[in-house]
Amino acid sequence: MTDKTRSIDLANISLRDALDLAVLVEEEAKDRYEEFADQMELHHNPEAARFFRFMLAIEAKHESRLAERRRGLFGDEPRAVKREMIFDIEAPEYDEVRANMTLRQALDASLRAETKAFEFFEAAAEMVQMKDVQDIFTELREEEREHQALVRQEIDRLPPEGPARDDDDEIVAL
Amino acid sequence: MTTSNAPLPTYQAKDYKSELKPIWCPGCGDFGVVQAIYRALAAIGRPPHEIAFVSGIGCSSRIPGYTTAYGFNSVHGRALPIAQGIKIASPELLVLVAGGDGDGFSIGGGHVAHAVRRNTDITYIVMDNQIYGLTKGQLSPTSPKGLHTVTSEYGSLEEAVNPLLYVLAYGANFVAQGTPADMAGLAEVIEAAIRFPGFSFVNVQSPCVTFGEDDQQVKNHRATMQSLAKLGHDPTDRLAAMGLAQKYGKELHTGVFYKNPDPPPTMNALIKERQQVLSEKAPPRSRIFDRFLQT
Ligand SMILES: Cc1ncc(C[n+]2csc(CCOP(=O)(O)OP(=O)(O)O)c2C)c(N)n1
Ligand code: SF4
Ligand SMILES: [Mg+2]
Repeated sequence: MTDKTRSIDLANISLRDALDLAVLVEEEAKDRYEEFADQMELHHNPEAARFFRFMLAIEAKHESRLAERRRGLFGDEPRAVKREMIFDIEAPEYDEVRANMTLRQALDASLRAETKAFEFFEAAAEMVQMKDVQDIFTELREEEREHQALVRQEIDRLPPEGPARDDDDEIVAL
Repeated sequence: MTTSNAPLPTYQAKDYKSELKPIWCPGCGDFGVVQAIYRALAAIGRPPHEIAFVSGIGCSSRIPGYTTAYGFNSVHGRALPIAQGIKIASPELLVLVAGGDGDGFSIGGGHVAHAVRRNTDITYIVMDNQIYGLTKGQLSPTSPKGLHTVTSEYGSLEEAVNPLLYVLAYGANFVAQGTPADMAGLAEVIEAAIRFPGFSFVNVQSPCVTFGEDDQQVKNHRATMQSLAKLGHDPTDRLAAMGLAQKYGKELHTGVFYKNPDPPPTMNALIKERQQVLSEKAPPRSRIFDRFLQT
């Protein structure tokens, strides 16, 4: 858990900072899915690209909902929690993708990401002192559970696994 | 107060990210390295226009283009001399150098020793994937002995170069290693290297997912890496650092191997000192021409 954040005292975090953290977690995941979708498009894998764009839309929606809530409660108060303080809390790690990955592998990568986000908020909820912060982390944990269910549902809808594409990506030498 | 009292950065990591989309293979270790560089730069807080980022040629050498700093994707193996020239000509710039293991320890290997001994204040980040990535998987100087590649069909017969020991033996004053498997740790060592006054070296174990070995991938790093700080290593002890560096290729140590607690003057400082001495002794410019006329 500590390797996911830097300079954030989770046990004593305020409601405002907890909401800012939540927004940034979704923003980081959204950005990563966008990068993955771009990578898949560049490497001619439209199926995986489409799925990553689908996840990007979900994370974007979640992010804007949380940001709205933060604005409603705390207006334009400056943010103390910065993007540089969080490390891949919900964003799938860069090494989760491959040019020739199947749709199922893309879904599995996303499921692992949602699971680690769930675990993060679960541990955070246990750690915090303030009731309102605990409630928000518990709520976020449950939302991550819903995201997991959504991805599982997509996995269940897939036809049996075909072979991975075996096209070699051409690297252009200079 | 829910956060530490560390001063907040003026620049954010995203301010150092360029519009150019990386064309690395999905899963390449270099994606994590560039992210760590953005974060390290945000922590340093210098505006992008005050940073010069030089590289050679290779997949890893594409990095300057993915940042908003001034970039020079130069010539294979020649990033270090170019970077030293930039720093000497423009001491106010923060100068970073990046490249691959082939770029740095094969074709450019001869430059490393001189960059170390000149001690120009630059930071050299090597993305060590033990392979020539860009040219599709030939042996590199850091490839392990026995590796099968397109240029070593029956397995390499050569011992690998040890980049950590190499720079330590030449007297480097800051030597560290990281992996994208620990992005926070990697950002920290890169930041520490940039802050160090003098030549600093960061070896990054950055896997090539297309031509590299399975057992050298990020997942494996995550399971096997050992933090030097947690091992209780004293980074001011050069001999202890060399002892640990000998494990290169067998164990994955992360963090600072060596940091000279009493850094010697940088090349720029020595030049400035020399210029001051000479400017006192030197005749006025107008009289230099007279000297030629006298002979
Ligand atoms: C003078 C010269 N010789 C050879 C090459 C071909 N070449 C381009 S990149 C490269 C090696 C790349 O390996 P490395 O430096 O390890 O970088 P990576 O692609 O693995 O990141 C070679 C041999 C070249 N571009 N210029
Ligand atoms: S060939 Fe290897 S080093 Fe180059 S982009 Fe692909 S994975 Fe990275
Ligand atoms: Mg290489």
